[in-house]
Amino acid sequence: MAPQAPHDLLIEPTHDEFALQSYVSALRMFTLQEIGGGLRGVYESRVKPSFEQERGRAPTDEHEVRHAMMADPYCRTWSSMMRSAQEMIWDSIIPSIERAQPDLNSRAASLAQKPKGSMTLDPDVEVPRYVSASDIHLMPGNYYSERDAGDVSQGALYDRGVYVYAGGHGGPYGDSIGRSLAQHLKIRFPDFQPERVLDIGCTVGHNILPFVDVYPDAEVHAIDVSVPVLRYAHGRAESFGKPMHLHQMNGENMSFEDESFDLVMSVVTFHETSRTAMKNILAECRRVLKPGGLMIHMELPRTADMDPFDAFYIDWDSYYNNEPFYQAFTSTDLKAAYVDAGFKEENYMEVMTPDIYAVPEDTFEAAASGPENKAERYGRLGESIHWTGWGAWKEG
Amino acid sequence: MSDEIKITPVNRGKRPAFFDDPAIDQLMAIVMAMSAEMSVLYDRVDTIERLLDKKGTLSRDDIEAFRPDQGVEDERNGRRNDYISRLFRIIREERETLVAHDKMDEYNALMDELAKS
Repeated sequence: MAPQAPHDLLIEPTHDEFALQSYVSALRMFTLQEIGGGLRGVYESRVKPSFEQERGRAPTDEHEVRHAMMADPYCRTWSSMMRSAQEMIWDSIIPSIERAQPDLNSRAASLAQKPKGSMTLDPDVEVPRYVSASDIHLMPGNYYSERDAGDVSQGALYDRGVYVYAGGHGGPYGDSIGRSLAQHLKIRFPDFQPERVLDIGCTVGHNILPFVDVYPDAEVHAIDVSVPVLRYAHGRAESFGKPMHLHQMNGENMSFEDESFDLVMSVVTFHETSRTAMKNILAECRRVLKPGGLMIHMELPRTADMDPFDAFYIDWDSYYNNEPFYQAFTSTDLKAAYVDAGFKEENYMEVMTPDIYAVPEDTFEAAASGPENKAERYGRLGESIHWTGWGAWKEG
Repeated sequence: MSDEIKITPVNRGKRPAFFDDPAIDQLMAIVMAMSAEMSVLYDRVDTIERLLDKKGTLSRDDIEAFRPDQGVEDERNGRRNDYISRLFRIIREERETLVAHDKMDEYNALMDELAKS
């Protein structure tokens, strides 16, 4: 694994902890790509034919595919390995965080002393049920567990966890989606110069930080419901010397003024919220957007556009990786949801961009300035994929 | 402020059993954990060998302080991937059989075509 960009809150693993994290990352990637790569063959060569023999037709939706696939020994083995690999990621990091405490919390507190940005906490904000119902993507303690005054442990766990999960393919700053989006927007809409940018569900700020680089004149804000990740995000941004304004807020009910942002975005946030919450967040995005502003949400690909097998593969996490809202999200018609929220249909837009770290500069630029850019394959973080986003301009 | 912060290494939510007997899922988890311990041990031996090559002697602190540079890490990663590939041969080979099955379809189709001509 390539080294993660150092900052004052990043925990230095011991010799053996680093060896373990590197291995777990390689093992997950092997399971995902080498074993997972055989799933389509399993489906086509035996699962689908036996379904057809029994029912006289092919499976018509992802649920039928899932029931048939999960009875197949190869798919069971792959699933069992995927589940264990995900659990092993967190296990490989936890001891280093416990060892770094309580010093880690003190470091976060000192980084917040003379800030370039800011952090505003609101004790009235509650962690919503859709976040608290189960530990999302099997992360022990979820996003928000707070074990001591000033605790940042869950931020540290998430920061390193995402890095090990992606095997470092998210770049040294773990910001591949945010950086790809920021650079894509800059190339595609050269006249769009946002003065105020907002990120909803920022966790430790991986994907909003690149906006500070790409739009240096913009004032960058980010919100989350979890205090430990906000504290960590604040310390991390300060450590990098990047001004970022963090707020403890729920995207469903923000305290920002009407028409106060030029760009409102999120990165993989919606699939961790309920359908009701999504509706509320969209209404709030529209409220806080200035006329002529852009709302854009980077998310998982739509399963509606896929064949039932690909939809089954994408939604596997919903059932087996504690992503209870994954499937509800991937099956939502976003364009209709945006129109329901008040956006005009003709102002709907999509982003399809290659990963900025995975392709040469000219390929990236061509994709951003080209008329259309279709994803060549579907996948999960860590595979070579296109990032997808759904957005709308606010009229005016 | 308490002196110790402990993170309970268990996630909330029911753990699915993928096999009819959940003990098989547990065994899979144990095998994967064991494979990780062996890999860590291999890296440690590799560190010892590299330090001995360079200095002819070593201390425990030398081992703990050693961090692979990108070249060493790439080398180790290649070894890790070969190791994983050998360890999970039985599953990997099943995938290769499926590919062979596809190839057989191609072969049969070609034979049919040739028979017609």
